[in-house]
Amino acid sequence: MEVFGPDYRRDLEIRRYPILIYALVPLASLVLQAWLPRLLRGYVWFDLPLVITVYFSLGRRSPIQGTLMGTTMGLFEDALSNHAIGVNGISKTVCGFLASSVGVRIDVENRTIRLILILLLSLLSSAIYVFIYRILLGMELEWNWWTEAFKSVGNSLIALVLFPLLDSVQIRE
Amino acid sequence: MDSFFIRYRNPLVLLVVLAAQIVGLAVQVRRTPGGRDTLDPRDGPGVRLIRLWAEDVVAPPERLFHGSKLGVIGLWQGYLDLHNVSQQNKDLQKTIDRLRLEQASLLEDAKQGQRLQALLDFQQKYIYKTVAAQAIGASGSDQARVFYLDKGSADGLDRDMAVITPDGIVGKVRDVFQHTAQVLAINDQTSGAGVILETTRTRGILRGNAAGQTQIVGILADQRIQPGEKVLTAGGDQIFPRGLAVGVVQKIVRDPDRDAFIDIIVAPAAHIDRLDEVLVITSIASHFPPEAQQDIATSEAVKGAEAAAIKDQKKASEIMAERLPGLTDPNAPAAKPATPPVPGQPASTTPVPVTPTVPKVLPAQRPDRYSPGSSAVVPLPSSPTPKPKVDKPTSSPSGKSTVTAPRKAPGTGEPGTPRRNP
Repeated sequence: MEVFGPDYRRDLEIRRYPILIYALVPLASLVLQAWLPRLLRGYVWFDLPLVITVYFSLGRRSPIQGTLMGTTMGLFEDALSNHAIGVNGISKTVCGFLASSVGVRIDVENRTIRLILILLLSLLSSAIYVFIYRILLGMELEWNWWTEAFKSVGNSLIALVLFPLLDSVQIRE
Repeated sequence: MDSFFIRYRNPLVLLVVLAAQIVGLAVQVRRTPGGRDTLDPRDGPGVRLIRLWAEDVVAPPERLFHGSKLGVIGLWQGYLDLHNVSQQNKDLQKTIDRLRLEQASLLEDAKQGQRLQALLDFQQKYIYKTVAAQAIGASGSDQARVFYLDKGSADGLDRDMAVITPDGIVGKVRDVFQHTAQVLAINDQTSGAGVILETTRTRGILRGNAAGQTQIVGILADQRIQPGEKVLTAGGDQIFPRGLAVGVVQKIVRDPDRDAFIDIIVAPAAHIDRLDEVLVITSIASHFPPEAQQDIATSEAVKGAEAAAIKDQKKASEIMAERLPGLTDPNAPAAKPATPPVPGQPASTTPVPVTPTVPKVLPAQRPDRYSPGSSAVVPLPSSPTPKPKVDKPTSSPSGKSTVTAPRKAPGTGEPGTPRRNP
């Protein structure tokens, strides 16, 4: 009966992808996040790196991997902006950790749960961003919560399309 | 002890990573003399290294995307443009000619302005050299209004250089790498540019807000400022040359923090969210670049040609005026030339009365009732009023006909009154 214990079940549910997917998809998300707003005339109502972080964190179900992935993606985003490096890093680190921690406990195959999860994590990411900027660093930053709400909805819509696509490229044994 | 780390390895890793980033943030922030926390405008070596790595990873795919987009669009637009290229060339040539004349007409004012500025010891700076660059990417965040150019320090770009388009200013170079540069747009919250309102001459600082709009903050309430007024660069920030277009006043809102102040929302002249090609001002000088000087010389030549054409026209009209009969009496005695003063004698100081010259009407060769001087009144056929007596014109000894004016009626002083029979 030991083979049906929690560790074995967790191993069965861990998603695996080709190495290229691990390398290219995060990179593509960063590039598109930097390039698409120019095509969309400045309407940045999505956060592709966050969507990818949540997706891989949910699939891998390893809080450490989720943490590191969130850190990497966040630091990249910070490095491309003119803001302090680490603000996005911290917010996405927390999101990656939470997504992978939740992924161990819930059924991540359910699309509705995944959409609700990414909606909430998007709002949490924005809240952490504001908290760090205004409270932790004590710097001025004007904020519009409507934009963040639109961004959360945009992330959910993107996840609705992107997650099934990425599911289709996972390695099935 | 091992079991503790193994059991809590996930939260421990999270804490370590978060702590490292918080320390990193603390290093980047510094306190200003005014007591405000702000980011160091110049990145430290470690931060700059991270930015360089990120840019090196992201820039090549961005260039690829941008190049492919430009290629497809260029192919299609090139095909479309072939249809209208001839007409467009003609229109452009007309525009160039018109602009040359306008430039030539404004040149005198500009020179006068320069002379006055020189008198006031004010040195005007001109855009001497620019580098054209393509915008290839952005930050990807609506909180950081920055974008990337495909030119860097290898192309002569440096920090704090102004970035403009023909429509207006765009931003300034914030960071430079070897083949790319990061530009801080004027609608970013951390940007700042000295501007002046064209009509009211109100000065202020332009910066961005959370919605990505550009606004002039901290202006004393002034009823004269109205929407539609042009906003120009003031030239005091040592980045943007004076007089470049910034935008127009869109609306005026009250400053939420201070009652007596207003914020002016400005509609940027440049399409900041749709930039493709921009110009980076790499050099500013107190004189015009050679190309501009050549252009001005061409305009002046055009102006000279235009003046010569006008002179020719005047000459032709004078020749025509001489040939046509005029009001000048050819038989009138020639004006007496002024006598030169006798040497040794003082010039006469007696004022000579100057009589205004009234043009003398020449008599008509074949006079009729419409000729000047003939006061003939053509009566209506059924008019019962008696006809005034008009003497016949008599020929003068010189062969010129003269007209005798009708006699005055007795008791009246009015000419042309009918004579009564006794």
